Amino acid sequence: MDQTSSSLVSFAGTTESKEVTKVKAKKRKKISGADLAFRICNGLFMIIFVVVTLYPVLNTLAVSLNDGTDALRGGIYLIPRVFTMKNYETVLAKDNLVTGAFITVSRTILGTLLALVTNAILAFIVSRKNFIFAKQVSLFWVITMYVNGGLIPTFLLFKSLGLTNSFAVYIIPGMISAFNMLVIRTYMRGIPDSLEESAQLDGAGYTTIFLKIISPLCKPVYATVALFVAVGQWNSWFDAMLYNRMASQYTTLQYELMKLLSSVSNQSSSAEAMKNAGEGSVTPTSVRAAATIVTMLPIICIYPFLQKYFVTGLTLGGVKE
Amino acid sequence: MTQKKSFNMVDIKHQKILLFWAAAITIYGIVFYYAPLVGWLMAFQNYKPVTGLLHSEFIGLGKFKLLFSDVTFLRVIRNTLAMGVINLAVTFFMAILFAILLNEMASKGGKKVVQTISYLPHFLSWIIVTGILHDALSGTGIINTLLMHFGTISQPINFFAHEKYFWPIVAFANVWKETGWNAIIYLAAITSIDPSLYEAASIDGAGRWAKIKNVTLPGIKPTIMILLLMNVGNVLNAGFEIQYLLGNGLVQNVSQTIDIYVLKWGISQGDYSIGTAAGIFKSVVSIILIVFFNHIAKKHGEERLF
Amino acid sequence: MKKKIVSAVLCAAMLSSMFAGCGKTAGSGGAVNKDGIKEFTAFFAVPGSEINDDNEIQQIIAEKTGCKVKETWLTGQTAEEAVGTLIAGGEYPDFVEAGSGSVQMYEAGALVALDDYIDKYPNIKEYFTEQEWDALRQSDGHIYWIPQFSNIYGEERACTHNDEAFWIQARVLEWAGYPKIETMDEYFDLIESYNKENPTMDDGTENIPYTILCDDWRYFCLENAPEFLDGYPNDGSVIVDPDTMKIVDYNTTPTAKKYFQKLNEEYKKGIVDPESFTQTYDEYIAKLSSGRVLGMIDQWWDFAYTAEDAIKSAGLDEKGCQYVPLPITIEKGMKNQWHNSGGVLNVSSGLAITTSCQDVEGALQFVNDLLDQDIHDLRFWGVKDVDYKVGDDGMYYRTPEMRKQQADTAYKASHVCSYSYFPQYSGTSRDGKNAMKSDGQEQEFFDGLSEPIKKCFEAYGAQTYVEMLGTSEAPGPWYPMYTYSSTMTTSTPGGTAWAKMGEIKHQYLPKVVMSEDFEKGWNEYMGVYEECKPEDFISEMQTELERRVEEAAKYEGGSKKK
Repeated sequence: MDQTSSSLVSFAGTTESKEVTKVKAKKRKKISGADLAFRICNGLFMIIFVVVTLYPVLNTLAVSLNDGTDALRGGIYLIPRVFTMKNYETVLAKDNLVTGAFITVSRTILGTLLALVTNAILAFIVSRKNFIFAKQVSLFWVITMYVNGGLIPTFLLFKSLGLTNSFAVYIIPGMISAFNMLVIRTYMRGIPDSLEESAQLDGAGYTTIFLKIISPLCKPVYATVALFVAVGQWNSWFDAMLYNRMASQYTTLQYELMKLLSSVSNQSSSAEAMKNAGEGSVTPTSVRAAATIVTMLPIICIYPFLQKYFVTGLTLGGVKE
Repeated sequence: MTQKKSFNMVDIKHQKILLFWAAAITIYGIVFYYAPLVGWLMAFQNYKPVTGLLHSEFIGLGKFKLLFSDVTFLRVIRNTLAMGVINLAVTFFMAILFAILLNEMASKGGKKVVQTISYLPHFLSWIIVTGILHDALSGTGIINTLLMHFGTISQPINFFAHEKYFWPIVAFANVWKETGWNAIIYLAAITSIDPSLYEAASIDGAGRWAKIKNVTLPGIKPTIMILLLMNVGNVLNAGFEIQYLLGNGLVQNVSQTIDIYVLKWGISQGDYSIGTAAGIFKSVVSIILIVFFNHIAKKHGEERLF
Repeated sequence: MKKKIVSAVLCAAMLSSMFAGCGKTAGSGGAVNKDGIKEFTAFFAVPGSEINDDNEIQQIIAEKTGCKVKETWLTGQTAEEAVGTLIAGGEYPDFVEAGSGSVQMYEAGALVALDDYIDKYPNIKEYFTEQEWDALRQSDGHIYWIPQFSNIYGEERACTHNDEAFWIQARVLEWAGYPKIETMDEYFDLIESYNKENPTMDDGTENIPYTILCDDWRYFCLENAPEFLDGYPNDGSVIVDPDTMKIVDYNTTPTAKKYFQKLNEEYKKGIVDPESFTQTYDEYIAKLSSGRVLGMIDQWWDFAYTAEDAIKSAGLDEKGCQYVPLPITIEKGMKNQWHNSGGVLNVSSGLAITTSCQDVEGALQFVNDLLDQDIHDLRFWGVKDVDYKVGDDGMYYRTPEMRKQQADTAYKASHVCSYSYFPQYSGTSRDGKNAMKSDGQEQEFFDGLSEPIKKCFEAYGAQTYVEMLGTSEAPGPWYPMYTYSSTMTTSTPGGTAWAKMGEIKHQYLPKVVMSEDFEKGWNEYMGVYEECKPEDFISEMQTELERRVEEAAKYEGGSKKK
């Protein structure tokens, strides 16, 4: 177990995993009866699972492609009854959508990078077994998951920090989250101490250990956390409404969509509001469906790039103790 | 300060960089997470936005007394706890099961496709999911049609009219929406398992179940433990939207959660104090729960939060 | 060395982004833009549709008045939360409609007193009578907001009955030869006999004889019928007995019991939809849209813009699946007050100007200009020859294409700008012919009706929905009491009782209707209902009633000037 850091990093490469697949491939030839039964059951389970989870998505797609007024009658399952692109036109005709998309993409990229870096650093610190305050710092962050000062004090704080009417409010306040930190920490703890020790013997400091040894091994968990943060950033709109209501240059895609939705939705209790929301061939349900699909598409496109990190997986090889 | 023994100058010098970053991040945490907690003062005040935190009238524990003397609030706690625990157990189990079974899938392509599909419902809002659920469970919906077809029932069941169905429906909806998404974290954890362990197990003649039991599960156990501990602290956050969207007058005895109660009796009545009081209550319960379970985990030598 | 650089860079990035973007303060106060147009901001604590920045009519109005208002609406928050953060932040948009948070805004000193200004602006001055203006005075004697709606100019022009009623499909009335239906018993008898003869629609789907919407706050469809059945107007939360000037709780009247007993009977007979109490609003609208539902209680606006439109688009209107209202009371020969003439002055909220506005006079001038007839026409009719045409007789009308265009969401966002939460009129235009708003234009209304509805109206000698019910005089000066009950909070015993009564009714009224043994169910309900201490609520309402009547008495004897 006295391998040097450099050889370890390359160890996580591809040669080993190919070997493993070969081994698996060899085994596949002699499938036992029980194994076959398991595979069939598992396959069946997955098919049912896919059908059940895919249904709401396909249903949403069908509704989004159906005439809104017609959809009010219900009974749309997988195929639109009165096909129209009107709902998408309504969504895409929303003013400020381009600004919103730009801000959303920016906050997603910047926010994810910043969150990943800071959470990784924090996780690295608290996962060092000999760090003298590891326990206290962990506790400090764990508590933040369960306490909340409330809307108004938070608003006042952000205002006094100059974060209202600014882009920074999207990426600074939620940057470090105990959840993400703990997920990374758990993964880092699974990496054998021997790596750190041998690197230290080689004279590496903590910065080198973090950047050169730990981080390359943490790609799957980094990918996972990046996905969580990115999706959160991509979907969030409440901060845009709360802190940047009057600064329309910082509007986000989701906030624009939410505004559209709440304008066509009729959850208000007066005749005036209903009239104001107005008649039309689009309805809350159909516009919501279209907006959902529009929101989902980019994530579906990006996902496969991240997916390779946690489906196929890296192979740590013999580094486990 | 239990760590005082290891507290010496050599350590400090050696860990200078760690200490620096820890300090910077802690300052960040104090500013963004702990400073707003001044807002908790509201719970002890008759808070009015007009007078603000500094000048609102102090009323001590009045709001807490009001909460705990209300039978409705006690019932709401029960509902929240019950749904929190059921959801936690069911979604947890399903996500782990799904991750393991997915990992066992032989076809790589299939694996990717199934996983991609599995997380999609996460992006649907509750209003869409509950809309579909309402459709499926209505008198003419698929569930009643199937049950009638197989002769299990002779009359359609009005699922939303009976208190006994409400919690299971909520649990199912949670599983439906979040299983694939929740499994991502376990799939990432599975990647960290050393393949040679599987090989070794094969050589020892272990079957598939033995490998799952002896290699996969222990491999993701730290992740399971951490998530479990974190979520135990969240049982009182059983939700708002889904219960709000699925509930109705007939089942409100079992459907209302703390968050719904707070909205009804606090925010929509312009009373911020009662919402804050309920929030403090939830925080205190959460912290007690995690400290307790963390202690248990420590005793058993399991992965723990702090 | 390298590690130091890395950490220094990261640290700097962290700090700089932390303090970056100390932005400008919330925009305020009629700043003049590059085209010489004053720009104001407005926030309305209600959901609404935002219009595009380059909206055409907004631009025309801006050119005519020199002002433009950027409107924002409530999204994903309650009005109280939104107003709470506004107050906490201490920065406001120029205009605000705070809804149920209006009093909070006033108490926070965030609003500008308008009384000194009103006399300078003739259109604003004319908008209310002295008495009405005085009714808007807050505890410090000043006026802070202007209610925007239900203000009738000239003669009232109401074609649709916008409010609550027992509705029935035109086909049911046609089948029975348009009988006179006056009571609940007759109403349900008709539905029963129709359903017996015609249990299904043309395509074979079963009819739903009667359904009740019960979703969340929309449970008024179940709950408040007793006040109307007793011949009282929609005071909302209580009945006001105009003879004794006493508040009556409509939940416990003999009529209430009869009404729920009837529903209970009909439920047992299978006439009341068994899914009534569990259906969501969407499911309810889907049922109505399919044309299967023969009758229900609802307010017109709650289903007209959704279900009625869907019925039309599916061609079911020609089969008589649209709804007409019936003048139903508990006994024969009673006077009904489902429809009242006159506007409803809701004093509890309105358009206000905040202390952040640096050009109060400019802002009020804009409000004044919006009430000019030509601007009002732009707001509610649109651009001549684009959105409406003028006939030889001077009457405005729309072609079918224009009507269709008006319903298009994208067109509305880019073209239509009604400044819908600024003061506005309904009734007759200053030209004495046209209606202030297109929905009051009779010809427009008739052109939109389907054959079965026209036939039905003819049979009853009516020309509009309103005439199906008949109109009652506006109730007394206290009306409507719901403007008070809706502002109640749990800080008073009455408000607490009111909130609890709501909870109990939500839970028990469905149980009562579904109960095997009505008497037992009703008694149980009454038992828990009494525990809410409704008397606390009633007595606070009584105090308010007396205050309102006293206030109004000051103006009696010819002081009503316009």
